[in-house]
Amino acid sequence: MTTGVKTLGLDRHWRLALGAVLATCTALSVATPAWALDLATVAAQLAQRKGGEARFTEERFVSGFDGPLRASGTLSFAAPDRFARFTTEPRPESMVVDGNNLVLQRGGRSRQLALDAVPEVAALIEAVRGTLTGNAATLEKNFKVKVEGSAVQWTLTLVPRDARLATQVRELKISGLVSDVRSVELWLAGGDRSLMLVDPLVPSVTAVPTGR
Amino acid sequence: MTRRTVIVLALWLALVALAVGQILRTPFTADLSAFLPANPDAQQRVLIEQLQSGLPARTLLVAVEGGDAKARADASRAMAKSLRASGLFEQVQNGETDSFQQIGEFLVLNRYALSPAVNAERFTAAGLREGIDDTLSLLGTPAGNAIKPLLERDPTGETVRIAETLLPTNAPRSEEGVWVSRQAAQQNPRALLVAISKAPGADLDAQMGAIAAVQSAFDSGSIQGLTLKVSGAPVFGVDSRAQIQREVHWLAIAGTVLMSSLLLLAFASLPALLVAALPVATGVLGGIAAVSLVFGGVHAITLGFGTTLIGEAVDYAIYYLIQARAGGAAHWLKSGWPTVRLGLLTSICGFAALVFSGFPGLAQLGVFSVAGLLAAAGFTRFVMPLLMPQGAHGNRGAGLRQQMGRFAEWGVARLPALRWPLLALSVAAAALLLTRPQLWTAQLSSLSPISKAALDLDASLRADLSAGDARTLAVVQGADLQATLRQAEAAGTQLDALVQRGAIGGYDSVARWLPSLQTQQQRLASLPPPDALRSALAEATRGGPLAAERLSPFLAAVEAARKAPPVTLEALRGQGLSPLLDALLLQRKDGSWVALLPLQPGPDDRLDKDAVQQALQGLPGLQSPGSAPVNAQVIEIGTELTRLYARYLREAQVQALLGALGVVALVALALRSWRRVLAVCQSLLLSVLLTMGLLALFNVQLGILHLVGLLLVVAVGSNYALFFDMLHHGVPAGQGADPDTLASLLLANLTTVLSFGLIALSDIPALSSIGRVVALGSLLALLLSAAFAPRPRRAQGHMGHEKLLR
Repeated sequence: MTTGVKTLGLDRHWRLALGAVLATCTALSVATPAWALDLATVAAQLAQRKGGEARFTEERFVSGFDGPLRASGTLSFAAPDRFARFTTEPRPESMVVDGNNLVLQRGGRSRQLALDAVPEVAALIEAVRGTLTGNAATLEKNFKVKVEGSAVQWTLTLVPRDARLATQVRELKISGLVSDVRSVELWLAGGDRSLMLVDPLVPSVTAVPTGR
Repeated sequence: MTRRTVIVLALWLALVALAVGQILRTPFTADLSAFLPANPDAQQRVLIEQLQSGLPARTLLVAVEGGDAKARADASRAMAKSLRASGLFEQVQNGETDSFQQIGEFLVLNRYALSPAVNAERFTAAGLREGIDDTLSLLGTPAGNAIKPLLERDPTGETVRIAETLLPTNAPRSEEGVWVSRQAAQQNPRALLVAISKAPGADLDAQMGAIAAVQSAFDSGSIQGLTLKVSGAPVFGVDSRAQIQREVHWLAIAGTVLMSSLLLLAFASLPALLVAALPVATGVLGGIAAVSLVFGGVHAITLGFGTTLIGEAVDYAIYYLIQARAGGAAHWLKSGWPTVRLGLLTSICGFAALVFSGFPGLAQLGVFSVAGLLAAAGFTRFVMPLLMPQGAHGNRGAGLRQQMGRFAEWGVARLPALRWPLLALSVAAAALLLTRPQLWTAQLSSLSPISKAALDLDASLRADLSAGDARTLAVVQGADLQATLRQAEAAGTQLDALVQRGAIGGYDSVARWLPSLQTQQQRLASLPPPDALRSALAEATRGGPLAAERLSPFLAAVEAARKAPPVTLEALRGQGLSPLLDALLLQRKDGSWVALLPLQPGPDDRLDKDAVQQALQGLPGLQSPGSAPVNAQVIEIGTELTRLYARYLREAQVQALLGALGVVALVALALRSWRRVLAVCQSLLLSVLLTMGLLALFNVQLGILHLVGLLLVVAVGSNYALFFDMLHHGVPAGQGADPDTLASLLLANLTTVLSFGLIALSDIPALSSIGRVVALGSLLALLLSAAFAPRPRRAQGHMGHEKLLR
């Protein structure tokens, strides 16, 4: 009886609105730990962090616009699978992911989505959630992952495996300082990009284990 | 042949010819509509309409299992392609998002009529700035990529607003670009398709073609190791029809063979057999013709039930053939016919209760049986004496009748000794029934011939597709389309607030695709003329990142929209949106419209029905005279079906009680003695108690059909009890309780037990429930009548039912 809207592949408009989701994924992140150069080790360290809060600022560089478009707000994350991004400037907006459920709020309107119905969105969400929870398997499943840097200052470069997602997103660069994610950079297929800088409210106690 | 004989025979032949003529013009159906109530209340009506003619009736759910995800996805794409090309389907969906470009363009073109954000403030400088900021906040994100090409045409993001409202809350899971199942853990992973046929759901031949098309689409692209599963209302309809037809044939053949063998055993005479078949044939023809006249069509289930009519009608022939031996036809008319007539009347009392049943299928059974019995009895009364004036007298063979008679005698002599044990058993049965207050719990689904496995498959496919989630609907209605759309908009406003509060997760509404004319005109009227828009835009973009100079396509688009006609239902249908519209909007036969707003639960599966009810109560209603406004309702499908069934069960209980009272009244009228009426009622009551007790012992959940069966037990059982009462109070002259008369009773009982026993074996629950109860109950009724019968007082001679039955 409800086949109508939900089964109608609204293609582009679908994707437009879903894009709204992606928008929020652009940036993301929260504090996390990591110190090794190999994904498994990084992930193991990240997995110990069970939650956190952070402030973010975001700059988006869009062709056809001279200066960057800016936004800022807060991020929060709680293991195993919840995280949220609340944009406060320039306009209030939020995205809350909990399990397979995604709730978007823009301009006083609220929408709910099933994440697994939109694999492209799910993959982008997993890029962040997988990093925050240290889920190496999820990251590897959706992206080709390259690990660079040092234990103290590391960068994950994620290239989408899914062809559909790849037509939209070229790559994600997630950088962290010890156990905190400190920036997320997203390169779109058209050349536009966004950079989100993350400032944890309580920076993880840096402590690189001294024994190593 | 006398003149009278000729006239009667000619009359009979003419009636038979008329009946055959009527039957030849009769459409026969075998769909499920017989199991849907005929006069539901307002809420149930919506549900029934949907089930009968709505989109679900032509929606096939298709699953591909086996292989790996890629093989399934490839098969899904190949099948979807070939099904779309077949021309049989209005829509085939499998999660691919490549089609529907056209709809996207349509929505973009009509965005100013469709976007909920459009109003006068939206086009002031402040409103424009707000809209533009909203759009800019998406740029530089993957979503922005999709929006960017539209930026100059639609800087305020009306397209995004529309898309937001149309975003499904509960879409199926997607993998490899197609829909797949969600609960991969406990079942085989599947790729899923939904195919909506063009042909109406009631056209089962066309639905069969659609199912075959799905099968052949799967076969042609078949990859090793994949299996196909198809479900949905059309499959149920087609399968049930095939099953019902199969069973009806089987029942008819088995019934004929059984009765013929029984008659041969009893009479050992072919002419007797042929003559006995005539009232049966007359009855069946009369029954079908009557149903056809009353209902305009005959359901195959009714024909299946016809087997039991064979069992009843053949009794008349048996009674006549045996009882007319001694005194001939004239004597039988005085002595035997009154008994048959009383039996006929009590049976009609039982079946008449069915005529008033709320289910068309049961009402057909009632009309069929009443008319069939009347025709068969009429034939026995008027035609039989002409054909065989001496009954079975002239026939040499007595078959096994002697043995049967002696067996019956033996039973009649021994059974009274079992009174106390039988009484004890009845008390035990009553006690057992008292401990089972949940006895009457059979569900509506127990009426339908769809197997549990088929229902389970359907439920799991629906869960995969998230299509079964809309168990709760808000329903609004109006006298015409526009009134209904306005109601849907008003309900939508209330529901939006609930979504915001988290009381519900979301909802679908036709008004998002098709706002009321009033709303569209308001929106289009709020679009400013070019000069005003240009200056407002200049002010709105001053100092912002998006320069007004880039936005001349926007100015042109708004100007075009001001002159554009509103979106109409026809225009949307032209875009291939019919399936969607039909799911959300129905037109009734009386011209009024209904909009369905399926509600989705929130993140934690929360759906606050009371809150919805309350919110919708505030809607301005179309006050129909003398009643509360019924324009907006909340319907919970599961609860509604249960409620519906409970109501029919209550009605049926009253009808059954009235039927039983009718039987007792007839008996009282015939016997004119309270003591004797009580004695008859005693064995009837005990039969019903023991039957129910046995059913309860085997944990049978009782429903409407069992109730109907019990009523028939009372109707049939009263004949047996009466028979023994007559024995006690003296039997007609020349008709002592000789073995032959007892044999005729035993034979009549056997035919009833066997014919109902036959349909008890049916796989169609509607038939088997009745069959089990009546076969068991009538056997018990005979035994109990014999056990509790007073000893015959042979000396008393001729009084009795000759006099009593006048």
